[in-house]
Amino acid sequence: MARETLLIITLVELADNLVDDYDVIDVLTVLSDRCVETVDVDAAGVMLAWPGGELQYVASSSDSMRIIELFQIQVDEGPCVDCFNDGQPIVNHILNVDDGRWPRFTPRAIELGFTSVNCVPMRLRGRTIGALNFFSSHEGQLAVEDVAVARGFADVATIAILQHQSSLNANTLNEQLSNALNSRIIIEQAKGMVRQAADSDMDEAFARMRGHARNHNEGLTDVAIAIVTGTLDPGTLDVLKPKRA
Amino acid sequence: MATDRLLDIFSLMAERGVDDAGTHSLCSVAAEITQLDGAAISLTSDGDEMTALCMSNDLARTLMDLEITLREGPAFEASTGGMVVQDVDLAAASAPRWMMYAPQAAAAGARAAFGFPVRIGAANFGALSLYRENPGHLSDAQTSDAYLMASVIARAVLSIQSGSPIGELAKELHGQSGLDFRVHQAAGMVAVQGSMSVKAALVLIRTHAFAEAMELSELAEKIITRATRFDSLLDSWIVKPTSGDPK
Repeated sequence: MARETLLIITLVELADNLVDDYDVIDVLTVLSDRCVETVDVDAAGVMLAWPGGELQYVASSSDSMRIIELFQIQVDEGPCVDCFNDGQPIVNHILNVDDGRWPRFTPRAIELGFTSVNCVPMRLRGRTIGALNFFSSHEGQLAVEDVAVARGFADVATIAILQHQSSLNANTLNEQLSNALNSRIIIEQAKGMVRQAADSDMDEAFARMRGHARNHNEGLTDVAIAIVTGTLDPGTLDVLKPKRA
Repeated sequence: MATDRLLDIFSLMAERGVDDAGTHSLCSVAAEITQLDGAAISLTSDGDEMTALCMSNDLARTLMDLEITLREGPAFEASTGGMVVQDVDLAAASAPRWMMYAPQAAAAGARAAFGFPVRIGAANFGALSLYRENPGHLSDAQTSDAYLMASVIARAVLSIQSGSPIGELAKELHGQSGLDFRVHQAAGMVAVQGSMSVKAALVLIRTHAFAEAMELSELAEKIITRATRFDSLLDSWIVKPTSGDPK
C-alpha cells in the first residue's frame, strides 16, 4: 500500500476513534502500532509525565515486551528523558556505546537489536506532557517526511489525552494525565490477573482484554477495572459474572 | 526518575523525622510542600471504612474528625470516587458541595478543602486532604505538588502496611522507578493465587521482598516467570526449585 494511502487510512481511523467515547490507553496503543506501519521504524511507544515530572510508559507498539524493558531503563536516563526535559525532538540519533550518552540505556537497546532512536515531545500550551519514541533496528535514517508524520502523531496523542471522556470531568491537565497514567497501572494489574487465571503470557493477557473490550463495546480500562474489582472473571474473559455481593 | 521536587519532599521528610507510627512527617511535609494551612491523610479499608492516619495540626485534626463522623467531605469523596475534589469556598452562601461538612468546616476555621486520592492503579489506599484558611483555587504548582505528594504517600502507606521501614522508600525511589510494571503485574497474579485484592497482594509482595531481603522488582520477576507463587491453602510462598511451568 502506498504510504500516503496508509497515512490517510490511519488518520481516519484515529479521528473516528476520537469522536466516540474511547479508551485513552487503547487509542494510544493503536497509535503506536500505526506509527510502526507508517513511519520507517520498528517499534514505537508513548511516555507521559505524572504531575511532578516522573515519566511513565503508557502505550507501545505490539512489540511490547522489549519496549517496556527499554522504557524502564529510560525512566532513569535515555532519549525520552532528554526529549521530555528539553522539550526538543531527538532526530536520527545513532546508538553508540562509545559516545558515552545514556550509559545504561544504550548498551541494552543495542543488545535488543536497536540501532537508532527518534523522539518527539508531546507539547501543549508551552508545557511538555510526555514524548513519543521511535526505535529502529535497521540501517538508514528517517526522512524529513517521516519526522513530520512523527510530529503529527505526537499531536494526535496529545489530543487523545485531552479529549478523553473522563477528562471532561477533570478540572485540570494534571488530572487528565494522572487518570491516563493510573489507567495504565490498572491495566497492568489486570494483565497479571488474566495471566494467572487463564495461564497466558502477558501479551496474550493484554490481547484478551482488548478483544473482550472490542466484543463488548467497552473501554479497555473499564474491562481492567471490572477484572480487578471482581465483577469480571479474568479466567474466562467474555463471560460476565454477577457482581460479587 | 527522582525529580527535583521529589528530592525536596524527601529532604523535608528526613528533616522532620518520624514519630512512633512513622507517619507524622507525611502530613506536615504535605502541608509545607503545598504551602497550605493543614493536611490530613485518611486510609480506606477494602470494606470502604475510613480511618485517619495522620494530621498536620489541630485544624486538620478537627476537620478529619468531622469527616469521619459525617462520612462526607474531601477525603471521603476523593477516596471513594478516585477523583480530585475541592470546595474552594466552604462558607459560600450557595449550595455547598458537602451539605453537612461545609458549614461545620468553615466554623472550624477552614475556607477551602481539597481531596486527592491516594491510589496505585486499582489499589485504593485513601486520600490526602488539604485545607486552607482562605477561599480560592490551588495554583498549578500547588496542584502538581499535591499530586506528587499523594503518590509519595501511596508508596509510603504501602511500605508501612508491609512492615518495611519508611526510610527504605527514598532509597527505592532513587534506585528504580516506583512504577515498575512488573510489580503491578505480579500483584495481579498473586491476587488470583491468593484470592485477595490487588491492594492486599501489593502489600504481601512487599512484605515478602523485605523479609527475604530481595529487591521488589526481583521478586516481581520471579512471580511473573512462575518461579515463586503464593499458595493460599498453605498461606505461604512456594519457590519452584527448577524452571518450568508449575501448572
